Amino acid sequence: MTAAALTSESARTISAPRGGRAARGAYLATAACVAVIAIMAAPMALSFLASIKTAADASAVPPHYLPKALSFENYSKVVNFQAGLATYVGNSALVALMAIAGCIVLAAPAGYGLARFTMRGREVAFLGLLAPIMIPYQALLTPLYLDFAKVGLVNSHLGLAIVHTILQLPFSVFLMRNSFESIPREIEEAAMIDGCSAWRRFTRIFLPLAVPAIVTVALFAFINSWNEFLAALIFMNRETSFTVPILLVSVRIGNHGAVDWGALQASVIISIIPCLAVYLALQRYYVSGLLSGAVK
Amino acid sequence: MTMRTTCGALAAMLVALSAFADVAFADTMTMWVRASGVNAATHLGDLWNSTHPDKIELTTIPDNQMVTKLATGVQAGDVPDLVSFDLIYMPDFMKAGFLVDLTADLKGNPNYASVAQAYKDIATYEGKVYGAGFTPDVSILVWNKDLFKKAGLDPDKPPQTVGEIHEDAKKIRALGADTYGFYFSGACPGCNIFATSPMMVAAGSKMLPANGDDDALTGDGVKDVLEAFKAMWNEGLVPKSAQTDNGANFTGEFKTGKIGIQGTGGFLLSELKKDVPNLNFGVTFLPGVKGGQVSSFVGGDVVAIPVGSKHVPLAKQFIAWELTDEAQLEGLAKNNIVPSRPALADNKYFAADPRVVVTAKAIGVGYVPWVYHFADMVNSDSSPWINMFQRAIFDGDVDGAIKEGREKMKDIAGQ
Amino acid sequence: MRRTRTLPQWHGWLFIAPALLFVTVFVLIPLGQLAAMSLTDRSLLGGGKLIGFTNYWRIWNDASFWRALEFTAKYTLVLTPILMGLGFAVALLTVKNTLLKRLTRTIVFLPVVIGLSSSSLLWFWLLDEQVGLLNKLLVDLSLIREPIVWFASADLAFWAVVISITWKVVGFGMVLFVAGIQSINPDILEAALMDGASYWGRVRFIILPLTRRVLLLTTLVSAISSMLAFDQFYIMTSGGPRGQTFTAVYWIYQNSFISFKLGYGAALSIVLTLIILAFSTMQIALTARSAET
Repeated sequence: MTAAALTSESARTISAPRGGRAARGAYLATAACVAVIAIMAAPMALSFLASIKTAADASAVPPHYLPKALSFENYSKVVNFQAGLATYVGNSALVALMAIAGCIVLAAPAGYGLARFTMRGREVAFLGLLAPIMIPYQALLTPLYLDFAKVGLVNSHLGLAIVHTILQLPFSVFLMRNSFESIPREIEEAAMIDGCSAWRRFTRIFLPLAVPAIVTVALFAFINSWNEFLAALIFMNRETSFTVPILLVSVRIGNHGAVDWGALQASVIISIIPCLAVYLALQRYYVSGLLSGAVK
Repeated sequence: MTMRTTCGALAAMLVALSAFADVAFADTMTMWVRASGVNAATHLGDLWNSTHPDKIELTTIPDNQMVTKLATGVQAGDVPDLVSFDLIYMPDFMKAGFLVDLTADLKGNPNYASVAQAYKDIATYEGKVYGAGFTPDVSILVWNKDLFKKAGLDPDKPPQTVGEIHEDAKKIRALGADTYGFYFSGACPGCNIFATSPMMVAAGSKMLPANGDDDALTGDGVKDVLEAFKAMWNEGLVPKSAQTDNGANFTGEFKTGKIGIQGTGGFLLSELKKDVPNLNFGVTFLPGVKGGQVSSFVGGDVVAIPVGSKHVPLAKQFIAWELTDEAQLEGLAKNNIVPSRPALADNKYFAADPRVVVTAKAIGVGYVPWVYHFADMVNSDSSPWINMFQRAIFDGDVDGAIKEGREKMKDIAGQ
Repeated sequence: MRRTRTLPQWHGWLFIAPALLFVTVFVLIPLGQLAAMSLTDRSLLGGGKLIGFTNYWRIWNDASFWRALEFTAKYTLVLTPILMGLGFAVALLTVKNTLLKRLTRTIVFLPVVIGLSSSSLLWFWLLDEQVGLLNKLLVDLSLIREPIVWFASADLAFWAVVISITWKVVGFGMVLFVAGIQSINPDILEAALMDGASYWGRVRFIILPLTRRVLLLTTLVSAISSMLAFDQFYIMTSGGPRGQTFTAVYWIYQNSFISFKLGYGAALSIVLTLIILAFSTMQIALTARSAET
């Protein structure tokens, strides 16, 4: 059975209604969905509405839901800040791509090794690769920064991408291992009979089957790298190297912590758009991706 | 080709080459600025760039990360050529040896000599000078003239004592449910050391200890001001949201036009004029407890050269330049920013608006504390300063709060 | 005769090697430096000398740290069941691939892609007593008489943060659970249907047991990240009122970067990591043992 068929079959069977309760159950479910959408979307909808108000209107007391007058001044404030939005987006994108590459290149083989081989100490290795999430990463940043400064990796996209890879690697290994574990033994045994080497087995057979999981790893690596603020600020030292999160913080906080609410809303909307675009583009792989991902 | 055309061509080439060389050999200095000072710094930076071949490039660092970034940067040798930061951190940085000694260059400079005393004091350590005032800010009292008129108060007569603030606030609150007499950001330590402590200083108190043996929160000023704030809070003259405002609404509230009186900074003037031009407001010094007592917090950013800077001579040039009349007037005053030399307060740009002149003069009557560990003592979210403030006003225990604050501050100063 | 070569299992190490090397260089070494720093009284402004385990003794007596840790534990114990429970419920609701359900999944997942600081400020704005639209909404719906100052009381502030984080993170669990549920072999469910199992019966006796592993691992990851919570409290409550909502990492931040005590902060970080390690090991051991029964 293909993955897609599996998905829809079990999904249908799970909620297969029986008899007269069918209509009522389906009706309730639809109502629930609508309620969930309304509640979850409300904050963002309000944020969007506020972002197209004038700056003064966005901070008005008492507030009103709809804009009195449409204005894009909040957006232009963000877009034209210092080096300009395009520069920051470029930096963020470059770092994110490198972080994605790093995660995939390291996590895919690691997941394969952990899933399909039975060496002693395998579980310990897995836990060792997972353990970094238990360390408060703010504490690690200072020693890392001082080390990177010695080897010239500060103010470089590579240096920041390495830090972002550190943050994402445990989860990526977790996803890849589970993905490889769920691939049936028969395929592997068939390959062994054919005399494939471990590496060829990996690249020719397992990797293609794990594409959905790889896409999931890429999605989460992108989102987390894109939104990461503290390491970006510490490791970069010129405005032209800064990433989007730094821009967003600088543009909306004024003297003594005064917040420009209009600029805040614009920055929230601006930061969502690329991640949303990536998510929608990868939707197809994504759902069935986690199918073989964190499952079993 | 004739001799003349050859010479002409050669000359043209030489001119072109020298222009190219000017650009090619021109240096770029990097400078870190605090996010809240970036506006003013950009004006100065643009002015420098338009009149000098060597350029300066600004990098904005969010306020609350500046200290960390500079400290780790100096230790890693990863620093900009110049840095502008909250002057309150000068003592810590000077003591740690992070800044280049500028004594030789600035001591003889007449422009430096005429800088406000507070700025000179904060940049001096063991007799040596390490920085200069850059983008000043100073705290003042603003009042909403329209609300004053509506409440039957003389719109051109601001309160001269804390007691008068209380009285005026009461009358304004009586105007309606939405209108409040006074505002302060109750969960913002920085806002209050900036806009409230000067009232205490004006009333004769000394605020922070310079070391473990020094005294803190002396005199009755602290108690009198806290009692007044507590009374105003209890009488509902202040919006309830003030209790949890960590600074987010420090400027926003007054801009709504529903607040009668508030302590704030010079930076608010240009914002008010731009965002709410119809709001009639006045500016005066922060008062003490008796008539005639005034003070202010002389704040803003200083500029200094971090150890490890790669363009020290050029950076020194920049600092000398920014103290000149030209930079102070065309860069700062023209853009409604107060210059660091009080003598320039009466200039042609400010003549149009006497409120800005008052603000500029406030630098001359103000104070700035010279202490180590300012963040720990005051600005931190768990600082003795904000704890005392909140305990006195919201919990009502003024005496206990002052006593506890004093002890904890001396503790920190002694470390 | 079928020639089944069992490959040398140690080849597995070759595949794992790059990741292990990466973690060793970029995590273990800085961690070691952190541990070394914790044995000194190093300041953020440089300097400091070796003082042995003095920092650790100080931690033992640091009432504020233990209070912060207790608060963080309370936060974790309250938030994790809410996140997992709601995540699972929404997963059950949207497991079919109809258009409406896919739209629901996308909207629920959307907050996950916003940065944590942006989302925290967004909720700070919504809950503000003066400019906040949520308060206005509640007043307009006659649910409350006047706007609430959410952050003036430690309890309300706690729940405000819990609400905002639930909104932001529930989609993450939902998406993992949806995948888990969709991968259950439909034959099993067919059989249950034939036997007359009700919907909730199917959930209780088939879906829950078969998605056990996803549930447990997701819960663990969620709990660990709650124990390390910082940004949301820094932005929304500033640790207030009166320092009652400091989390463990917030306390580390205060000590390291505000009080400049980098050495002490390093010691706090090590202690926190060890506590989380112990807690996670316990949870894994417990679930491994019950899996065998």
